[in-house]
Amino acid sequence: MKKFNILALLVFVAGLVGVFTFDTAITRQIQSRVLSLLSPFIHSSAAMQNAAESLTEPQVNAAEVMRERDELRVQVERGRIVQQKYNQIIEENAKLRQIVGFQQAAPFKMTAAKVIRRRSSAFWNSLIIDKGSLDGIGTDSPVITSVGLVGKTSILAPRMTEVILLTDEMCRVSAKVEGTLEQGILAGERAALEVRPELHLRFLSRNANINAGASIYSSGEGGIFPPDLLLGRVKRFENREISGEAIVEPAVDFSSLDHVFVIEMQAVVPAPEPPATTKP
Amino acid sequence: MLFHPISIILLLLTFMVQEFIPGLEIAQYATLFLPAVFFFCASVAAPFSMMLVLAFITGFLWDARHLQGVTESMAGVEDWFGTGEDSELGAGRHSLPFGLSIVLFGMLGSLMQGIRPLFKRGRLELPVLMVGVATFLWLLTQFFIITFLRGALHFPSGLWSKMITDTLLAMLASPLIFLLLYSLARVSSYEIKYDGLRYRFDGR
Repeated sequence: MKKFNILALLVFVAGLVGVFTFDTAITRQIQSRVLSLLSPFIHSSAAMQNAAESLTEPQVNAAEVMRERDELRVQVERGRIVQQKYNQIIEENAKLRQIVGFQQAAPFKMTAAKVIRRRSSAFWNSLIIDKGSLDGIGTDSPVITSVGLVGKTSILAPRMTEVILLTDEMCRVSAKVEGTLEQGILAGERAALEVRPELHLRFLSRNANINAGASIYSSGEGGIFPPDLLLGRVKRFENREISGEAIVEPAVDFSSLDHVFVIEMQAVVPAPEPPATTKP
Repeated sequence: MLFHPISIILLLLTFMVQEFIPGLEIAQYATLFLPAVFFFCASVAAPFSMMLVLAFITGFLWDARHLQGVTESMAGVEDWFGTGEDSELGAGRHSLPFGLSIVLFGMLGSLMQGIRPLFKRGRLELPVLMVGVATFLWLLTQFFIITFLRGALHFPSGLWSKMITDTLLAMLASPLIFLLLYSLARVSSYEIKYDGLRYRFDGR
């Protein structure tokens, strides 16, 4: 082997050692920079894909579009009324909580985002949405749809975020079974590359009375996901060596996701102390 | 000596082109991993030191773009199930380390260096086959390391069909990349020389 090659090998190994010593913050920063550098290409590919899909779609009927628009207007109006009632109830609830001295639940903000890319890696179940750190999105924030939990945010770019799907082994959720006291950890399968893979709810009691079809919700105990998000429904229950395990069908159809919402938990502002009453 | 800088530029371009390559839904979203395939092809054409440079760039950028985001542990979250990790954030501890792809590309690139004399003679059968072998080994090694880190040896049914389709796509694309590298070598008057271990096969 030439001396120059040996020198090159030594430099390569030194560089490799340097890379392996990167901590989490640096790694995240590098991944974020690379994602933001490639974001124009990801946006362009999404635009091309949309254009190709629109070419293959059947011609849109103008009358049908008008009818759909009218229906949507009615739905928006209904939504506004429900929103007003909801705000009133929230306000009332906050007042009542203050009166009884109950700790206020953390409020959250929802950011609507469009799915622009599905799956781009070898073994991971992920997608990319069109909102990023400039839109106030943070890492490890829950991503939901009206149906249930989709996953959590991972790598952030200014105008783009990668989402790890619930079906991935790396996305784990503390979960509870509806109608029982059973709690466990829900996770996807390793390299589950099917369109709608199964999820596994582990660490349940052996011989737990869990029926097929029971809904699985997040318990809110794990620190990331808020409670009562629908995760899926039990397909079957199996007894393992130490604990029980439920096989769960995800609530969300991940192959047809177009729009999602990112939940950002906001810091709780402590309620002002009531003025001390003075004795006459 | 324009061959090497242009190779690096082409390698960087493949990362951009990769974003436009869709996955095949019928084969568990198998796709053409263009940067990896380009690296395997270029490592046959480039000398050892240049192969190491290409391996470093490919591995670094691959991990930066395609490795799953690393999760930091959250303080104050109870370990409810006694798994030794906080249940939701702890999952990130068993991800592949950043930089692993550099090692894998360095090793597989060294393997590809062994067929340089054949590439020099214009024989593409074995180089194309070796690109397939290298792609398959790269994917399989990654999966084995994930399995080693997370425990429980488990091979989902769709895994093999995905990896084999990825490999076949790599082998389909590699002749085009080899032809591109030939043209580039001709234009830049670059001569492919074998400077590794002594080559004993007569090549006929």
